[in-house]
Amino acid sequence: MRFKFSDVLLGVTLGCTSLAASAHFIVMYTPQTALLRASDVPFTMVFTHAFAGGPTMALEKPQRFYYSKKPAPGESSNEVDLMQYLEAVQWQTEDTHVSAWKANIPRSEMRSLGDYQVVLEPTPYLEAGEGLYIQQFTKVMVNVGGVPGNWAETLGLPAEIEALNKPYANWTGAVFRGIVLSDGVPVPYTQVEVEYLNHPLDLENNKFQAEAFINPPHPAFGAMVILTNELGEFSFVMPKAGWWGFAALTVGPETEYNGMPLSQDAILWVQATDFPK
Amino acid sequence: MSLFYTTAVLLVSTLLYSLPAAAHTPLFDCFDNGDGTITCEGGFSDGASATGVVIRIMDSQGKVMEQGELDAAGSITMKKPTAEFSVTFTAGTEHSITVLGDDII
Repeated sequence: MRFKFSDVLLGVTLGCTSLAASAHFIVMYTPQTALLRASDVPFTMVFTHAFAGGPTMALEKPQRFYYSKKPAPGESSNEVDLMQYLEAVQWQTEDTHVSAWKANIPRSEMRSLGDYQVVLEPTPYLEAGEGLYIQQFTKVMVNVGGVPGNWAETLGLPAEIEALNKPYANWTGAVFRGIVLSDGVPVPYTQVEVEYLNHPLDLENNKFQAEAFINPPHPAFGAMVILTNELGEFSFVMPKAGWWGFAALTVGPETEYNGMPLSQDAILWVQATDFPK
Repeated sequence: MSLFYTTAVLLVSTLLYSLPAAAHTPLFDCFDNGDGTITCEGGFSDGASATGVVIRIMDSQGKVMEQGELDAAGSITMKKPTAEFSVTFTAGTEHSITVLGDDII
């Protein structure tokens, strides 16, 4: 694969402009992504700063919420709409509450063996302080029973991270690799923010727990920034079990919404698991 | 002719060698449809198709009560026995998995 100088320049430019909306993450949380057997699969979706556990922003009703699954080896993936399972909740912050979403996907919807690419396409969020809209296309992959499916497929999202490792099967210390795509085209030399979900979710009270898993030695260890290479690829070693979020900011093709700048971002959440002792 | 023969032997050897070297693990589970039937699904850890794999429902004595083959989607639906039973996925002698009827929900 070869890139023109203009492509590289575009990537660098996008990387620079992405600074404006940095550290925003749609957290799409489910307790376990590698399921031995089919079960109900609960999701919680909160628009926040993942490492810091806040500030948390309002998440309007998503435009789309669905999964993509391959019905059989060699066949094309199908989409299954999950909007009917969305339930609005109020997420507690230090001094107020904001809208967030939960969805308990029943076992009957995710019963078959294989991969489920669960996707949230949000309504753009107006970040008034920065004078722009943010739309983060967010993916989480769940596997039932170990039969692989479409985990490596791209879904044609405007902004998307293509996984080069199964996101649900990574030991702590594993290298996770991906490709940042803008409308399906790799984006070279663009920034990818990497954040650890550092505050456990209190799902009963709809809030992040105040106590963090770790205390970083320096702010740069919170919202870490890496760059894609000339092929749009990135890699990252996950040093701790839990959830790692990868966000490529301002990579989507649409740059305006309601007459204001729009940042179309790609988010992929990856679960790291400790090697058994 | 000699080159052709050598190439052919190499190709066949490679194919034969690649079969046992495929490190796939059989995977299998069954679900109770709640209508007197169960659906069983099978596959392999490397994504290989399980189409045609024989599925057998057996009673507590090991007697085959019903059998069929997984379809293109790796799935089969069969009548759920009323007595104690188990379901076995058999893909060659090395690849066999049994799910007990009581574990099918």
